[in-house]
Amino acid sequence: MKNLVFLVSALLVFVGCADLDEDPVGVINPETFFQDADNLESAVNGAYGLIASEEFWGRKFTLSLMLRGDMVTIGDPGTSGRRKEVDRFTMRADNGMVAAFWPMAFNSITAANNAILNVSNVEADQGVKDRLEGEARFIKAFTYYHLVRTIGEVPFVETLPTTPDELLLLEKSSVNDIYQRIIEDLTKAKDLLPNEGGIRTRPSRGTAAAYLASVYLTRGEWQKAYDEAKFVIDNNASFNYSLVADFQDLFNAEKAENSSEHIFAIDFTGADDISGTDIGLDFLAPLTGPRGPAVTGWSVAVPTLAVFNSFDNNDYRKQVSFITEAVINGETVGWEMFSTTQGVQRPHIAKYFRFPGLAGANNRDSSHNYIAMRYAEVLLIAAEASNELFGPTAEAEGYINEIRSRARNAAGIQNSSPEDINISGQNADTFRDIIIEERRIELAFEYKRWYDIKRLDIGAEVFGSTGYETDVAEQQPFDPSRDYLFPIPSLDLETTPSLLPQNPGY
Amino acid sequence: MKKLSIYFYERNRFREWIFFFFLILGFTMTAQKEVSGEVKDDTGLLLPAVNVFVEGSDTGTTTDFDGKFNITVPDENTVLKFSSIGFKDKDVQVGSQQVLNVVLEVSNEALEETVVIGYGSRRKQDLTGAVSIISKDDVVAFPSQTVEQTLQGRAAGVQIQSNNGGEPGAPIRIRVRGGTSINASSEPLFVVDGFIAGALPSPEDIASIQILKDASSTAIYGSRGANGVIIVTTKKGTIGKTKVEFNTSYSIQQVSNELDLLNADQYAEYRADSGNPIDQGSVNTDWQDVIFRAGAIQNHQVSISGGGEKTRFYVSGSYFDQEGVVIGSGADRLSVVANINLDINDHIKFGINTLGRRSTRNGVRSQVNSGGRGQAGVISTALRYRPDIGIRDENGDFTIDIDNDNPFVAATEIVNERKRDLFQTNMFTEIELLEGLTFKSTAGFNVRNNRTGEFFPSTTVAGDQVGALGRIDNRKQTDVSLENYFTYKKEINNSKLTATAGHSYNELVRERYGSSGNTFTDTSIGFEGLETAANTFDPISRFSKRKIESFLGRVNYDIDDRFLLTASIRADGASTFSKDKKWGYFPSGAIGWNMHNEAFLEEVDVISQLKWRASYGITGNASEEALGTLAKTESLAVVVNNGVQANGVTVGALGNPNLTWESTEQFNFGIDLGFFNNRINFSADYYTMETTDLINEVLIPSIGGVSGETILVNSGAIENKGFELQLSTKNFVGDFIWNTDFNLSHNKNEVLELPNGNQPFDNSPGHLILNPGAGFLAEGQPVGVFRGNVYDGVAQIGDGSGLNPGTAKYRDLNGDGVLNNDDLTVIGDPNPDFIAGLNNTFQYKGIDLNVFFQASFGNDILSYTLLELNTLQGANNATTLALDRWTPANPNTNVPAAGESDLRVSDRFVFDGSYVRLKNLTLGYTLSDSLTKSLKMTKFRVYLGAQNLWTYTNFPGLDPEASYRGNGSNADSNLNQGLDYGSYPNVKSITMGLNVSF
Repeated sequence: MKNLVFLVSALLVFVGCADLDEDPVGVINPETFFQDADNLESAVNGAYGLIASEEFWGRKFTLSLMLRGDMVTIGDPGTSGRRKEVDRFTMRADNGMVAAFWPMAFNSITAANNAILNVSNVEADQGVKDRLEGEARFIKAFTYYHLVRTIGEVPFVETLPTTPDELLLLEKSSVNDIYQRIIEDLTKAKDLLPNEGGIRTRPSRGTAAAYLASVYLTRGEWQKAYDEAKFVIDNNASFNYSLVADFQDLFNAEKAENSSEHIFAIDFTGADDISGTDIGLDFLAPLTGPRGPAVTGWSVAVPTLAVFNSFDNNDYRKQVSFITEAVINGETVGWEMFSTTQGVQRPHIAKYFRFPGLAGANNRDSSHNYIAMRYAEVLLIAAEASNELFGPTAEAEGYINEIRSRARNAAGIQNSSPEDINISGQNADTFRDIIIEERRIELAFEYKRWYDIKRLDIGAEVFGSTGYETDVAEQQPFDPSRDYLFPIPSLDLETTPSLLPQNPGY
Repeated sequence: MKKLSIYFYERNRFREWIFFFFLILGFTMTAQKEVSGEVKDDTGLLLPAVNVFVEGSDTGTTTDFDGKFNITVPDENTVLKFSSIGFKDKDVQVGSQQVLNVVLEVSNEALEETVVIGYGSRRKQDLTGAVSIISKDDVVAFPSQTVEQTLQGRAAGVQIQSNNGGEPGAPIRIRVRGGTSINASSEPLFVVDGFIAGALPSPEDIASIQILKDASSTAIYGSRGANGVIIVTTKKGTIGKTKVEFNTSYSIQQVSNELDLLNADQYAEYRADSGNPIDQGSVNTDWQDVIFRAGAIQNHQVSISGGGEKTRFYVSGSYFDQEGVVIGSGADRLSVVANINLDINDHIKFGINTLGRRSTRNGVRSQVNSGGRGQAGVISTALRYRPDIGIRDENGDFTIDIDNDNPFVAATEIVNERKRDLFQTNMFTEIELLEGLTFKSTAGFNVRNNRTGEFFPSTTVAGDQVGALGRIDNRKQTDVSLENYFTYKKEINNSKLTATAGHSYNELVRERYGSSGNTFTDTSIGFEGLETAANTFDPISRFSKRKIESFLGRVNYDIDDRFLLTASIRADGASTFSKDKKWGYFPSGAIGWNMHNEAFLEEVDVISQLKWRASYGITGNASEEALGTLAKTESLAVVVNNGVQANGVTVGALGNPNLTWESTEQFNFGIDLGFFNNRINFSADYYTMETTDLINEVLIPSIGGVSGETILVNSGAIENKGFELQLSTKNFVGDFIWNTDFNLSHNKNEVLELPNGNQPFDNSPGHLILNPGAGFLAEGQPVGVFRGNVYDGVAQIGDGSGLNPGTAKYRDLNGDGVLNNDDLTVIGDPNPDFIAGLNNTFQYKGIDLNVFFQASFGNDILSYTLLELNTLQGANNATTLALDRWTPANPNTNVPAAGESDLRVSDRFVFDGSYVRLKNLTLGYTLSDSLTKSLKMTKFRVYLGAQNLWTYTNFPGLDPEASYRGNGSNADSNLNQGLDYGSYPNVKSITMGLNVSF
């Protein structure tokens, strides 16, 4: 019996107290993750990947920017209401487009912060650390630059989230403050990044400078905008920047990778459902392509006929920018014969649909590395800033004509249009109009137009009776006090009261 | 040896062989003295089948049909033990006698019947909690793949329903006293032979089932007791001759109901009418006829049991095979049970229970969440698919409609196979340390391995463009339990004390691996050939471990058989909660008063039992999710450097230092009444349960940029209140026996508090794109209510509604002239008001009859099936209700015109789901003793039965036991009740069977 008692006691001691601590097995522990350059690089990759997602550059954000402007409206009348709302200035605070891209923007910002705040925690070569920090700061600035222009005041987050309660304490920053932080990050990035990265889906010094130029232009800080643009232009040899010979090549997924004109592009792969997530997923080709039995577009974002007619018929850029024919029922037909079942009889956008490269069913998930900034835009920024500073100059004239000259090369055939411009007889105002119009044509459907309308405050004009969207169904009159900004998503206002007040008018 | 083999050959009797085998194992015979005799009861009746054993050995025999026995004993000091069910055991010293005549005393079963409760057992009359007892006969009343299915309608307060109609191998949803949770599980805890969360063997291997419902019964299981505890005891060997039992049955099945759909001509006319015409095909296909067939079940089981005073064994093997009523579907199960009990000496007992099982399910896609391209389910497609085309078109290719395979292809070409292996073993050692003090140690583990394989060959829409599509998903779960506890029993004067104290440790490890692939060389190779896919993706590898450590204690104190006191406490620590929140404490207390033992009632013969019970306790519910409180970095597959795949990371989840147990506070008040020597037994219970600290997912402010989006927090509260009645009567006793068991229960569920106010959500099939969705979680409402518009008939010409005539109209509830989300209201509640079961058994001579009804009242069903079919938007087939649609010639109808209305959730598709169902009707015949005896058997019974033969319901869909979203990760959520879409149909069966033992 004594033995039994002993045995039982021994057993009890043995099983006595279990260790209830939880080990993070099979998951990545944030406390121990950051060790070397590879870890830091994956944090930077995270920030890129979240931008290159369906919710942001792959559909929701880019589609919103297109529809908001005066160049693109809804084609398929049966498309979802959230898209129509963006197009028609009838956005409600619970709009599904902004509710999708808003959190994704902050996801990318947090991923970038995760890199920035962990630079000091990794053991790596200083040069590598500098490059990665520069990239992270750039991608954060890039995202905030889009956010501040679409939403306005938002919190500028510089810490990593710890608890939901702490997040509730984050306050919105003023638009001025946000721009100052963007400029700080871009300036640091410009310092830290190498001259030439080689891969245009990652930033280099020139990328940071080009974005600084764009930010200053938006802010009306002409001298700084001019200086930064000039910095890019003057160093174009060492940055390896120039206009490509054929305008079409910029919008051909097979040819556009790492072209000398690309200053920054968003990387997509063309592999359907590789990750099983929305990361790497894009729908820009089918969204903009025409709908028809054997045609794989969805006619969602389609220019009005007035936009099509506003292009010079002899300008090669019109040919590159529009789809005017499609094969329907085995027959090539003009846009007048496009399907009206969930489609529309208008020319469609070609920049994404025509050459999507590798793509899945319906051209989903193309391998297009979509341009976010290219050298032509830097030339246009330099021209516009210089005009604001000095009025029309030969230098600015040269920048515009460099672009027009390239446009005359129609796949090897020299067109006579568009003709060079001449500054004689121009004043700053008329020359500004020429530059803005050149931006509209050259950068058509590249998500720039809405921002131009906003920074130039020409909404009332371009959406008025002389604009391109006069016959858009159910379009509300443009209200400058409301429509320059998107609403803060209503769900976020509920969960995060510090985001109040809502943007005016929503 | 030669002689021995001839012996076997001549007798050719299996049981003898087995018996002999165990004899050789067990002992060697040293025959010294022969004793013979008779055993009688106290009325002088000779007793057959009484066990006669030599004490301290495994030598034994049983009395024959005339109550006579013969046994060889070592010497005169030998003590013979006599035992038989229903009688008290008796020990007799042999002495010098050659002939021993023994009289056994009847034991009072009602008084002695014990009930297994957690960590011990109690006499039924000493119970202070609410416990339902289910007999082993009810569990095998009809063939069933799982034990869970057989419990439906058997116990008050226990609601059971298949999550997918009559699908072979469908998961079963069980709610004891309603759902206590929104996001954590509301499934009860199963304890099998003391093994927490153990797997259940086949129904035939079950000895008894007890359902613990109130907190004083379940609090000993602490954090895992909030949803009730189902205690299962498996069959064990008993002392006596080796017994062989053989049970076999064969059932044929057919669908319980079909919908009346439009035929080809009617469909073509309807489509033309809708403005969306079709080119009518030349055939008329009834797709329900194509996919439904007569199903069949065969179920066989053999068990061998017996043993001596020191060693008892029960071994059983069973095979269940079901061919589903939908083509391409079926399931089978093969399982083996081996239970062995050893009495090592007077102080030490040992036992081991082992279960091994393999089950296979060949599924067909049903209840799928999306009808996206090539993804539709077989049943939903059969209802909506156009009837004017056939399986193949004129070119011999499979037809396609609405971007989907036809039902035949979906059922027969798409492979969906699940294989599940289970091994479970559980052993105990019980040591009597001192007089009244025992120590029991149990150790057990089970391993479950589930492998699902899916394959879409290139003959299917989903496999066509991508060169076939395959997927393998393997999940493994290992559950280890180690429990040690002391029990102390002491009688002091008229009172009895039982105290239990112990420690428990449980570890659950889950692993999951899988991958998908497409672009196969051989596009019909099947998922087994996944490695031949040119393109593989979606790799899965997951690992999680959860540990729970517990200390428990309980005291029962019974005074004079009149006052019964119980108090218990359990402390649970879980690894899944963060450092300072790991431990939860779950106390309970109960009192019982056996009023019938009071002097003033002892003389009242009519009342054989009158007991009052009251209990109070707190139980818990844990987050199942391991690693749920840790901050995590999420890995993202991203594309960088021009299309190169690389790893990215971001902040995946926030740490949560405050997450802790959901806790349920329960009060129970009950009464047990027995009349006429317990020929009438009645129990009633009233309870209230309030669950607080609900584990809820709450949105993380998105400015945090956390990719996980939500975090689990404790907030919100739910209440369940209800009553339960149970009545058992022995209407006739004697030659003609008629017993009735009736139970009725009511539960009212209400959300008391939600963390973020009312929450609308969508629970519809994805392809319907319903906005707003019907799901609505709201304070003051039960969990699971439907929200939608109130249907207001159809627009008529010139009615001023501004709608096309024939368009569905909805009521502008707030009268503001606009129809928007403000006009939504609660239009249905899937929780039943009452559930009931009524079981009658009749017996006369060898004939037995069982009639079992089961019913549910007051529950609503939202039929997405009928919403899709009968909105009449002109995109798919409809029921024949469409023939009464609005047309200018038929304006007096409330069925909308073809092609005028959009899909919308309204009360038009909410139906009363009440039903009464004749769950089982079985007629059996048992051969008389003399015939059985001449066949050298102890029992021979044949029976003919019918299941679900008759149903009364007003529900116009396929079956009132509707379910949807019963297969996914959220299958058990209380948010998915009473929904009907694309379920596997329910079935009715005819069963023939045979029970033999010898």
